[in-house]
Amino acid sequence: MSVALQNLVNQPYKHGFVTEIESEIAPKGLNEDTIRLISFKKNEPEWLLAFRLKAYNKWLSMTEPQWQNVKHPKIDFQEISYYAAPKPKEKLASMDEVDPELLRTFDKLGVPMHERAALAGVAVDVVFDSVSVATTYKEKLAEVGIIFCSISEAVQNHPELIQKYLGTVVPVGDNFYAALNSAVFTDGSFCYIPKGVKCPMDLSTYFRINTEGSGQFERTLIIAEEGASVSYLEGCTAPRFDTNQLHAAVVELIALDNADIKYSTVQNWYAGDENGVGGIYNFVTKRGLAKGVNSRISWTQVETGSAITWKYPSCILRGDNSVGEFYSVAVTNNFQQADTGTKMVHIGKNTRSTIVSKGISAGHSNSSYRGLVRVGPTADGARNYSQCDSMLIGDQCGAHTFPYIQVQNHSAKVEHEASTSKIGEDQLFYFSQRGIDAEEAVSMIINGFCKDVFQQLPMEFAVEATNLLSFKLEGSVG
Amino acid sequence: MSEVASNHYLEGLLKTYSQHSSDVTPWLSQMRNEAVDRVGELKIPTKRDEEWRFTDISSLTDIPFQTAQTIPQLQPADIKHHYIQEAATRLVFVDGHYASALSTINNDSGIIAGNLSMLLPSYSAKIAPHLGQHVSYGDNIFAALNTAFLHDGVVIIVPQNISVSSPIQLLFIATQKEVTSHPRCLIIAEPGSNVTVVEDYIAGQEVAYVTNAVTEISVADNAHVNHIRLQRDSNQAFHIANCTATLAHASNFQSINVALGARISRLNLNVQLASEGAECAVNGLALIKKRQLADTHTFIDHIKPHGTSRQLHKCIVDGAAHAVFNGKIMVQPNAQQTDSSQTSRNLLLTGQAQVNTKPQLEIFADDVKCAHGATVGQLDPEEIFYLKSRGLSEQAARNLLTYAFGAEIIERIPVISLKNQLEQAVLEYTQSTES
Repeated sequence: MSVALQNLVNQPYKHGFVTEIESEIAPKGLNEDTIRLISFKKNEPEWLLAFRLKAYNKWLSMTEPQWQNVKHPKIDFQEISYYAAPKPKEKLASMDEVDPELLRTFDKLGVPMHERAALAGVAVDVVFDSVSVATTYKEKLAEVGIIFCSISEAVQNHPELIQKYLGTVVPVGDNFYAALNSAVFTDGSFCYIPKGVKCPMDLSTYFRINTEGSGQFERTLIIAEEGASVSYLEGCTAPRFDTNQLHAAVVELIALDNADIKYSTVQNWYAGDENGVGGIYNFVTKRGLAKGVNSRISWTQVETGSAITWKYPSCILRGDNSVGEFYSVAVTNNFQQADTGTKMVHIGKNTRSTIVSKGISAGHSNSSYRGLVRVGPTADGARNYSQCDSMLIGDQCGAHTFPYIQVQNHSAKVEHEASTSKIGEDQLFYFSQRGIDAEEAVSMIINGFCKDVFQQLPMEFAVEATNLLSFKLEGSVG
Repeated sequence: MSEVASNHYLEGLLKTYSQHSSDVTPWLSQMRNEAVDRVGELKIPTKRDEEWRFTDISSLTDIPFQTAQTIPQLQPADIKHHYIQEAATRLVFVDGHYASALSTINNDSGIIAGNLSMLLPSYSAKIAPHLGQHVSYGDNIFAALNTAFLHDGVVIIVPQNISVSSPIQLLFIATQKEVTSHPRCLIIAEPGSNVTVVEDYIAGQEVAYVTNAVTEISVADNAHVNHIRLQRDSNQAFHIANCTATLAHASNFQSINVALGARISRLNLNVQLASEGAECAVNGLALIKKRQLADTHTFIDHIKPHGTSRQLHKCIVDGAAHAVFNGKIMVQPNAQQTDSSQTSRNLLLTGQAQVNTKPQLEIFADDVKCAHGATVGQLDPEEIFYLKSRGLSEQAARNLLTYAFGAEIIERIPVISLKNQLEQAVLEYTQSTES
């Protein structure tokens, strides 16, 4: 690898800055009192506190999972502050009233809210350190009956929906981090699309972790009623910190008969420096339940950040003819570790699933695809196609594939393919012969490699993702 | 399985151990003693162990399997139908004990073949660097048990630049109920040699017994080894096998593993491409029905550059049988220019049949070509329709397609009589399918 290229790979994290906003932080540590405090601060009903305490008790009896292909020092869960909220301010009626410093933060990140909202027609539910600060387009969405708000707001205004669906896809005791999240989640987004409604715009939240030392425990719940459809975007950047931050989110999707949910993520959290110091631990449980007939759940993710990524957006295909999709690009550089993939659980008849996973590893990083395709005895005519390709850049990195295929029905058809490649000298030569320099050639080859996934992203995300990838990997090949 | 049952079982097994520790070479008895100590530390794996997640062998401990105390005197006529005509050398073991009366050793080609206790005094220098050196038992209780009970076994040494034209047959016959045998094979192919070995496990009668085999194969520089492993144990038997081949510079290893029998069978096949330019092809076929379980774990380790590996594993699963395949390919950090491909194909014939497959790639080098694929499905209705349009009955069409699916592996066997024999077995299997 040439020196010039090395420098490009090792570009410092460009979103690294801390916004100084006064925060109200709970004392470090986790016990029943912390949970009662969170619940009290958020003015939650009794059943939600019971839900949290049940999860907490489950969590106490669980141990951290060890099977994943990542290494990190043991996390001290008592060293984390579980609640941080910007000081309460008066409710804001319009964007103009938002704290100008906060707005500047988003400007620096390249997402001016007015512009983004106006140009792209996106309603942005800004989550800034766990408390929803401003929500736009709410009225427009309310016209068609869509509820799109922070989950704490939904707890106050629509408790019956939360009580009915929360924890039904990811039970409180599902896994160690999901249990932790269920006990201490502070905020997140809630979205409800009523029967027969096609959401008129892409919904979006912009997550940002601020306040050093406070882990974020987001909770997202999306419900699409019969015949409804929605496309939801989640994008992340985080400022630069040297202590590791834990992020354990839970996302639950529920699609009823003929409903359609598309969930897209671009994740570019702080990945640690070139020596692997710092960075976010991203331990996320994402699961969609395709409950009704002909329902569809589609996950698209572009994972470029975080020191450790550990997530498996999954689909439970319970309804007959339901469809599950997973499109993923995971890029790791320096000392990043990614163990990501999906689970497709076929239960209903004629259920179909598609998995396309692209992993790119550079530097000293390790990226793993871990996937499960399970066809149960009742899933007659189930169909799965999986493809996972890896690209290695440099000889210090690793790529791993762990596909589990479990079939209990003979009418099922399951196919899995995987390949590994590198950027060839001959490819680069071809580009240079056409007058395209190595930098651009690499960027083009990588974008070609990821095309199948980028095509699934909404337009403005696709642009952002393309830039992000070039930025992350520029010059890793030489 | 409870810990108590597991320990009780192991203790029972080790009781018979002392009977075999007669005067042998010091290094061998030391190796066995170390293995005994290791057995004492280990437990029978349960479904909670990742490596045994889909294979429940707890029923193994239900019967106090012992090593055979008496060996029945078989007549050549009893086992003649298992002979491979082409084989000039044939070593026969009955319930884990060498039967010299049934064995034929032909040294014309220059090979050294025989049982361990016979060859050890004169060839200790050649055997010591290999015996117990390729299969490292580590946490593997079954390999440790086999080593603890290592009192005899097969030794084949093919000297430098010797090419053996006729295959060597190793026949392991189990005749007694509730008996454990620990067959051990050591194949040493010296530089530039060429040999074909058929390892054949058969049942004398349909009873429950345990076969716990270990095979070690050393393929030296430029040597070529064809290894065919046939498992035709009784449908009530347990068959557990650990096989490791270590490949030196520019050597070639061709492996074909066919599993037809046993109630529960497990094969751990390890291929180490330990030097540059080594090549291997690993083929597997599991043909199972009723309540059989066939589990194959393979590990192909590309340690040095310019290695090539090809793997095709097929399972045909009928009745309520269960096939497990776990194929891991590792490309070590400096194993550049590795070319590896792996395919797992599975055919489910009934609604109760089950397959768990996990083709696994771990790559730490960037200039490599690696691909793997897996499919699980039933017979293609269009193919059946095509054959029906040619006048075949539904059943005949299904049988023909099932047969063709399995024949792809059988056809790769370089021993003609064995190939014909197995083709017949596949044909009989397809005709007896329940679908």
